[in-house]
Amino acid sequence: MTNRLPWWVGGILMSGLLLLTFSIYGADRPIGASTYVPYAASLIFNLDPSTYSYINHIKAPGSWEGVMLLGVLFGGFITSVFITKTFRIMILPTAWKMYKNSSILSRVFWSFISGFFMIIGARLAGGCTSGHFMSGMSQMAISAMIFGAVVMLSLILTGKYFYSKEKVA
Amino acid sequence: MANVVFVINDENATVVDRAFKMVENVIHGDHGSVALVFLIGVIFGGIIQYTRVDKFEKIAGFAMLKDTIVPKMLFMTVGLTSIGLYFMIDAGMAHYHVKPIILQGLVIGGILFGVSMAILGKCPGTGPVSIAEGRIDVLIGAIGGLLGGLVFTLYYDNFFKWLMGDSLGKTILPNLFEGHEDLTTLIFGIALVIISIAIPKIELEDKEETKNQG
Repeated sequence: MTNRLPWWVGGILMSGLLLLTFSIYGADRPIGASTYVPYAASLIFNLDPSTYSYINHIKAPGSWEGVMLLGVLFGGFITSVFITKTFRIMILPTAWKMYKNSSILSRVFWSFISGFFMIIGARLAGGCTSGHFMSGMSQMAISAMIFGAVVMLSLILTGKYFYSKEKVA
Repeated sequence: MANVVFVINDENATVVDRAFKMVENVIHGDHGSVALVFLIGVIFGGIIQYTRVDKFEKIAGFAMLKDTIVPKMLFMTVGLTSIGLYFMIDAGMAHYHVKPIILQGLVIGGILFGVSMAILGKCPGTGPVSIAEGRIDVLIGAIGGLLGGLVFTLYYDNFFKWLMGDSLGKTILPNLFEGHEDLTTLIFGIALVIISIAIPKIELEDKEETKNQG
């Protein structure tokens, strides 16, 4: 049996973390996880904020999420090595082999393309699973509910047509 | 892409200098100390890793309707947080940070995001956790994401801002039921918790991982 927390324990813990982050004793802001990406791009490519106005919009949240991201990488690494013992260098997910194909080239190609459009999509909508679905819905924001409904629909339609119904391997 | 020239900020600053600037921005902001923000990240990454909801089998599996752990955990999280947060805000212990209803952006962005999430089997919060546990395909996805972020930043003023359209305001559900805000919140929160329990639990097992653990 896999060493992991039940979904409801995860839900309770995540809820506690969200409330801590929202509270004035914590960070007095929501959790978000997509603004750091364009901000990191602006740092890596050394873009000038006076030419590209978007950098000024995202400087503060992008920095906050960037520091949080370093924590996420650290927390994920430690947990995978010492608690769940699931750290493994891998390219092909098991279910990709089962329902798509066994080609590393195909997986790498689709990962790159989907990573690209995922960030374009998140920035167009102004948030992702963390910012909209978790933090936004917890404030009962209509924007988050629209995003959540559209994402669920396109996620499930893609799942239906992109992957094979039956196992291919 | 042959002749794209970026307008560069400071020629002498190295990427490390600029990363320190990022940390400085947090020090000078009022959203918690650097240590606290880092700790929030550690716990966030730890919860996601320990529940294994960052796995391809969980997220792409949900897209294929062969796994329901992700929606169960998400609805449980949101149901509990919505009630707690509402009363914390009421007591002055937290504030609203509501995102605007930019309808075009939400719909076009939501479609792109959903398609990508089904294919990558990650989202921007769970992806870094998978990279931290050694998943190379997700690292490639992150490089794609960085380029997506670059393109969005470069063409925000000329294209994406227009594509997103105008904001229709920052409405929240209780605004629509004036006079019954407390009740609306309780019904919303309790309904989501009930949904999270009611969704049938189905799982797409990763046989390779189970086998390796013995």
